[in-house]
Amino acid sequence: MRYITICLLVLLLNACDHIDREDRLIYEKPVTTKRAVLLEDFTGQRCVNCPKGTEIIEQLVAEYGDTAVVAVGIHGGPLGFSGNDITLGLATETGDEYYYHWNLEYQPVGLVNRHGAVNYPEWAAAVKEELSKPASITLSAKVSAGTDNALHINITTMATDGTCNGKLQVWVLEDGITALQLMPDGTTNADYVHNHVFRQAVNGIWGENITIKEGETNTKEYTQAIDPVWNVKNLSIVAFVYNDSGVLQATKVHLQ
Amino acid sequence: MKGLLLYILATCCCLAVSAQTEQGITLSGSVQSDMLLPQTDEKTGAEKTGDFLTNTYADLLLQSKYVDAGARLEYLEHPLPGFENDFAGWGVPNFWVKGRMGKVELTAGTFYEQFGSGFILRTYEERSLGIDNSLLGGRLVVEPVQGITLKILSGKQRRYWNWNKSLISGADTEVDIDQLFPTLQEHNLHFMTGFSWVNKYEDSDEKVYVTPAYRVNFPKYVNAWDVRISLNSGPWSILAEYAQKSADPSFANNYIFRKGSAAMLSGSYSLKGLSVLLQVKRSENMSFKSTNNVSKAIGISSAINHLPAFTQDQTYTLAALYPYATQLADGEWAYQAELGYNFKRKTALGGKYGMNIKVNYSYVRAIDRQFYDTTNDPLAITDGYSSSFFKWGDDTYYQDLDITVTRKLSKAFKLSLMYMNQRYNKTVIEGEGGIIHSDIFIADGKYQLSPKTTLRGEVQYLTTKDDQGDWAYGLLELSLVPHWMITVSDMYNVGETHIHYYQGLVTCNFGQHRLQAGYGRTRAGYNCSGGVCRWIPATTGFTVSYNYNF
Repeated sequence: MRYITICLLVLLLNACDHIDREDRLIYEKPVTTKRAVLLEDFTGQRCVNCPKGTEIIEQLVAEYGDTAVVAVGIHGGPLGFSGNDITLGLATETGDEYYYHWNLEYQPVGLVNRHGAVNYPEWAAAVKEELSKPASITLSAKVSAGTDNALHINITTMATDGTCNGKLQVWVLEDGITALQLMPDGTTNADYVHNHVFRQAVNGIWGENITIKEGETNTKEYTQAIDPVWNVKNLSIVAFVYNDSGVLQATKVHLQ
Repeated sequence: MKGLLLYILATCCCLAVSAQTEQGITLSGSVQSDMLLPQTDEKTGAEKTGDFLTNTYADLLLQSKYVDAGARLEYLEHPLPGFENDFAGWGVPNFWVKGRMGKVELTAGTFYEQFGSGFILRTYEERSLGIDNSLLGGRLVVEPVQGITLKILSGKQRRYWNWNKSLISGADTEVDIDQLFPTLQEHNLHFMTGFSWVNKYEDSDEKVYVTPAYRVNFPKYVNAWDVRISLNSGPWSILAEYAQKSADPSFANNYIFRKGSAAMLSGSYSLKGLSVLLQVKRSENMSFKSTNNVSKAIGISSAINHLPAFTQDQTYTLAALYPYATQLADGEWAYQAELGYNFKRKTALGGKYGMNIKVNYSYVRAIDRQFYDTTNDPLAITDGYSSSFFKWGDDTYYQDLDITVTRKLSKAFKLSLMYMNQRYNKTVIEGEGGIIHSDIFIADGKYQLSPKTTLRGEVQYLTTKDDQGDWAYGLLELSLVPHWMITVSDMYNVGETHIHYYQGLVTCNFGQHRLQAGYGRTRAGYNCSGGVCRWIPATTGFTVSYNYNF
């Protein structure tokens, strides 16, 4: 009798683990976006799984647009590649500094509105959660290339829910860079197209202090020299305000 | 507060030691402390990650006729390099009490357990890798009749300084049939059969999207079972084992709902100086973790099971340069054959003192996997692939052939020679790098200078056209029994970097104390044990290691 009970118990528990094929995935409606989300993708050309992270970013951008999902590919860390005489590298010292500052362990790994490290399978969930939160500030940016071979950047901020203290950070990004990338199947793709690649911090590695008062418009202007290796047509500007509670708002604008 | 607690615990340990034994009660324990004073080394890339790093453990065990109890203090606040971030901390994560009465044993607290070969459950501690996946809960072991053992357990698994939310439960029974039927024993037949079952219950709040619109519906229950039989008769021994795991979508298997399985057949023969071992194993989708949370499941923590690697655990430095790690999620076909033979003394081949020869061959290959087309069908992502059981996949993961000959050439001199031919698929094991094909030559000589003085030397050379090219290694070790040992070694990259990884160590043993101090460089690379590997960065600095058993 005792053995029959044990067998029945085992069978019962085995039955509990079954999920019908059509129930394996749960459909969820797209969230209503209430703000932009900054997704910092800590990536590297020697990181075989990083293209998987990029795929997720592409899906999110396709769903919500690149002004709502502001993705930045920060090359650096142990799997970053800073280049040599033959091969173009995208890692920067600033990228390394960010990677080690956040005490990251693996690549790809992301920061979604700077609420701690998020592994790439969880990016979609974190981004959707952040998109549905209201923002306490508005942020817009304008950028143009002058005849002085420089970018002229205008950032406008305004608080909508009390005074905000934080740091304003402005970055230059570049799309469409063809450069080597190790792929998940172990192969090397010399013609991999890297998008939203972090190129330069315009106003210091950690930005500059800013106080944004409710109802008051605050405009800041920056000039950034264009590096000869950048393809001007593919540049964009990302600006965001952050403090200890994370990123308050972000924006992205392509160079016209 | 933490400092005070540490002091109290240390005092308790000292008092316990000084108290030694009350009537019928035995106190024992051990202290292990590995320390590093790291330095920055631009040549090797070693970084000074702190002024003083240590992994320190203190175990205390109290034993009596009916009750045992134990605890372990771990001080890993500033750990040695290469461990995961969450490894750092300190406390008493292991504590247990065990009661015995007749044929019943009950454990409460933390415990380690293994069912069969560990295909569905193996909790263990491996300090060099930073693994301690003990369970916190209860375990009952009963032997209702001679030859039948039943185990029932349930608990939460340790992950560094926390316990994962899921509940792991299981049962195991082993029946020694020869104990039930003494006639079998009379015919020198030993027959065992076993059955195990493990259940993971996790009410997961993990949200993983396979596309922005669809997220994975994680099963609350994952079941795994294992069945095995073993037969021993005289020099012969056979073990057959099969395990299966229900749908367990995870980061490791790319969130597929396909069942996992592992099958193993192992046979051996051992008699009068001859030993033969033949093993074959096929495993597929058997990564079994106690959490769905990606951040916690990534790396080597939270593993419920363990699949042994069918490759030789190498002790020589260059033979262990490219170690194999079992591919739990992707699966593998693994084969191993080993032959050992002792040539007797005073024979043509054995010579005056005899000779031992050992040949080992390991081959690990991908299983067949035909991936489904997932275009426009998110559900196909959850199917993963189909696989023909006996068919191989395209990739060789690992292969080695090693031959070791050990011979005493004179009364004072013993020589071991080893040749190893290795193919290591760096892309599969580390992510990139292709196949590394190497030949390794090792000579290990030991010379007895006097009854109390022994000098041992190793010369090793690895040659390859791949990765960083050739390596050379040399070691000299002077033993002055019973107290002292002095070791100097150097590993040199001939092929590419031309960096010397030198090391000097002095070891002294006094009674129950062992102290080792040294200075040197270690290369970045994998440290593996039983098919589980940990990446260790390069280090340079002073090392001290202290062990005490009481």
